[in-house]
Amino acid sequence: MDIYINGLGNISPQNTISSDNFLTDINEVNEKYMQVVQPVYKEYISPKALRRMSKIVRMGVVSAQIAMKEAGIDMPDAINTGTGMGCQADTEKFLKSMLDNNESMLNPSAFIQSTHNTIGGSIALGLGCNNYNMAYVHRTFSYESALLDSMMLIEEGQGNNILVGGFDEITEESYQIRARINLFKNSACNNLNVLNDNQPGALAGEGAVFSVVSNDKTENSYCKIKGIDMFFNPDNQEEIDTRINDFISRYNLSANDIDLVIVGKNGDKEYDVIYDNVCNAVFPESDIAIYKNLCGEFDTSSAFAVWAGSNIIKRQDIPEVMQHSKKRDGKIRNILIYNQHRNVNHSVILLSEC
Amino acid sequence: MEKLKVQIIEQLNLEDMEPSDIENEEPLFGDGLGLDSIDALELIVLLEKEYGIKVEDPKEGKKIFESVKTLAEYIESRKN
Repeated sequence: MDIYINGLGNISPQNTISSDNFLTDINEVNEKYMQVVQPVYKEYISPKALRRMSKIVRMGVVSAQIAMKEAGIDMPDAINTGTGMGCQADTEKFLKSMLDNNESMLNPSAFIQSTHNTIGGSIALGLGCNNYNMAYVHRTFSYESALLDSMMLIEEGQGNNILVGGFDEITEESYQIRARINLFKNSACNNLNVLNDNQPGALAGEGAVFSVVSNDKTENSYCKIKGIDMFFNPDNQEEIDTRINDFISRYNLSANDIDLVIVGKNGDKEYDVIYDNVCNAVFPESDIAIYKNLCGEFDTSSAFAVWAGSNIIKRQDIPEVMQHSKKRDGKIRNILIYNQHRNVNHSVILLSEC
Repeated sequence: MEKLKVQIIEQLNLEDMEPSDIENEEPLFGDGLGLDSIDALELIVLLEKEYGIKVEDPKEGKKIFESVKTLAEYIESRKN
């Protein structure tokens, strides 16, 4: 069964809120981590609802609204969300309040809003949607799991228009903790030069991307999602290459049919080499693009890659800022998104023209 | 009363509101300020944290939280 992406909403460190332009006005930052460009939330959410929402809830709710509007639907048949760390700011607020007040006089709002399913719940409450609603929290498999569930719902005939999203936020505290163990870079880094930065770790980021996936092709359809695969803790490079080759052949394609590979290189030289090895061994003839120079590293950043890949297929244009190596001039029919987190969680998503 | 209004605005994150926007006798819940049950919990925490007052009887709540004026009167009565 063909599954289409019919609407997208993206709140990221770039100017991605409007679909009029596709990565033409790039934000260059020299910071420890990348933060989203926040829209005027009042244009999307009532002040009454807005006052209790933290940044990530606002990002999620608004990007979901944008995706639904673009897809032309008022009510999704299901809402699937993925997040690695959930509502970090509210969690920190609640935990700090516990410490400050010796575990008494705790504010209920931060606790209520601190759960990983807050965004899915807030979207459903706003829409009055009582349909299937699931939140996946599997570190860097979170978004992929939500997307996989959405595809399975459609294939099983349990829904036709599924709202699926991935989101994570960065806070100073969470950054500090992860920078201390070299998961993130310790000092400021230029996002557009991230691949040449010699500090250990990745450039941290954040974002929220929602899409409407459907078995109906519409005038707004971006592309088809052919499939997803996730694999864990491969033994060696050969296993990674084999797994990706097997995944592609499942859809009667060869590596040469992949016009563009979007890889998750994030400036962590220790692990970026894995992407280079895959590109050299499996995709020597394909174009290669990067995206974490635009949004930074976060657990659900592959949602940004899906947004970028969908736009590339629809517009037949690889933005210059994403180009890593260019070898082809023809039509972009198939895009493979390959992301991995420190050689533990590996995922691939296949997008095709529709 | 002004101090209490500032505390309410801060505790409930009433964005873009000034103390002068809240009438002394305006209902806090329902048609007035439009607060809800979670806000009621926040107000209970505010009373305990800022004034050391515990609302022991839940039935009292409806009367105490009717307006800023009734809330201020309640705080004064407990102080005395």
